[in-house]
Amino acid sequence: MTDFRIQIGNIEFKNPIFTASGTFGYGNDVPDFVDVSKLGGIVTKSITLHPREGNPPPRIVETPSGMINSIGLANVGVDHYMREMVPSYSTIGTKIIMNIAGSTLDEYIEIIRKVESISSDIAGYEINISCPNVKKGGMEFGVDRSLTAELTRTLRTLTDRLLIVKLSPNVTDIAAIAVAAEESGANAVSAINTVVGMSINPMSWKSNIYTVFGGLSGPATKPIGLAAVQKIFHSVKIPIIGIGGITNSLDVIEYFLAGASAVQLGTVNYQDPSAGEKMIDELETYCKDVSIDSISSLVGKVKN
Amino acid sequence: MIIEQCKIIRNDEVAGGIWEMEFSAPEIVSYYTGPGQFLEILLENKWSFTVRRPMSIANVEEKRITIIYKIFGRGTKILSESKIGGILDLLGPLGNVFSGWKEKYVPILVGGGVGLAPILNLFKECQKYKIHSNLILGARTGREHFIDHDPSNGIFLTTDDGTLGTSGTVIPTLENVFSVVDNPMVYACGPLPMLKAVQDFVIQNKIPAQLSVESYMGCGTGLCQGCVIKKRNIKAKAHSYHERYSLVCMDGPVYSADEVCFD
Repeated sequence: MTDFRIQIGNIEFKNPIFTASGTFGYGNDVPDFVDVSKLGGIVTKSITLHPREGNPPPRIVETPSGMINSIGLANVGVDHYMREMVPSYSTIGTKIIMNIAGSTLDEYIEIIRKVESISSDIAGYEINISCPNVKKGGMEFGVDRSLTAELTRTLRTLTDRLLIVKLSPNVTDIAAIAVAAEESGANAVSAINTVVGMSINPMSWKSNIYTVFGGLSGPATKPIGLAAVQKIFHSVKIPIIGIGGITNSLDVIEYFLAGASAVQLGTVNYQDPSAGEKMIDELETYCKDVSIDSISSLVGKVKN
Repeated sequence: MIIEQCKIIRNDEVAGGIWEMEFSAPEIVSYYTGPGQFLEILLENKWSFTVRRPMSIANVEEKRITIIYKIFGRGTKILSESKIGGILDLLGPLGNVFSGWKEKYVPILVGGGVGLAPILNLFKECQKYKIHSNLILGARTGREHFIDHDPSNGIFLTTDDGTLGTSGTVIPTLENVFSVVDNPMVYACGPLPMLKAVQDFVIQNKIPAQLSVESYMGCGTGLCQGCVIKKRNIKAKAHSYHERYSLVCMDGPVYSADEVCFD
């Protein structure tokens, strides 16, 4: 029996398979046939201070081995979320990480203050500083080391819960941003958010996405995610949560070898929202076959 | 809804470029609630086709489901090459259903292009319940039709090029049928220009109507929030959620004609 437990900050997760923000709703609104209690954790949709309608359609388009989305942070807003969604977490059977996005430092502060003022079963926060699809989706923080540091440092003073900073691949040096987050008190970083991409209809000459650019996800991004995780692994000591194009248990192993201590599943949930449960069973088989006692023993073990 | 591996029983070209596929789907059928609902098909070699293809249910017979599809691109081409006995990964049933047709109204059913799948489904369901309905189907040309023009039994075909049935769009036929039917309710599904024209007609004439809309979908389960359609007559608010846009996979695909905006 392999030990799949992992530790981030002072929180223990029963396994390293989480769902990625924006691909699994709020965790309590997924199809009935999904057993969310098998997951190590769920990262919610990005939640903002006020409700957001999101971008006009078209919001998504299929691309080779992936898809581009530009949803525009459509969400219910923090007040509705705390009132209507959070109470269901007491019986959900897995850890909930609340993803938050803001357009100013004050918005991030206000969201966390609201959450911290109420007792809840939220295990921690993932800070979205990397949404490529809205003008003020935190991206200006995510591309700047000092702004990342300032944001992380400020939010650290407001909460004892897990603080995970989600990094953008659309930067020159992702490891430098990870270091800024670590030095400012983040418990972990997650990488990568979507890669800026574009798709054009050759008949209409229009972009297939209303906002022209969108975020590329799916297997097409896996090599980019793996490289990002490996670079960050050599620069920080805090755990890295690997994201990008994971569709099966061997992809999870690759991310672990590159330096991830946990992973998030995104686009695969659109084909099958129960993909995570299945991957946990597959991982068990892999680990038994190669005689691994603890999944954590694989972290960063790629032979270079 | 459920994900089921379904065996293909039949896959035929029933008219020019229009295909009908039937498969065994006992689990999905056990959740089925009526015409209007759809399936999401995952194609083989699934990461060449990241997103599932939404397809309206055209018929449910015991534990079998039929879909009707038109070859549009690589995905539907591959679907047309699927062999009998092969397995398809299906998610469904999804979405809401046409309503009101069992009540006091006389249904006028309008379908065009591949949009005829849910309309044919509703037509058969009306027959099953011995409800007299009128069926108006439009196509570009005669070879795209696969049922007979039969006005005496309330089946009206139209073609853009006049090669079968009445020449022109479905709208003049809809006007004619409307003028002789008491207490009508219109149900429509089809290409965007057709839906817009039907919407204009029913709103002008204050006819109750339901439209089944199409949308580019990422998942079919509400998770991706991609398949939104604009709502009509929304009051602008600084901050709102799902007041300006509706999620077709969860709130639709069937909407009251005065709910949605195609611009």
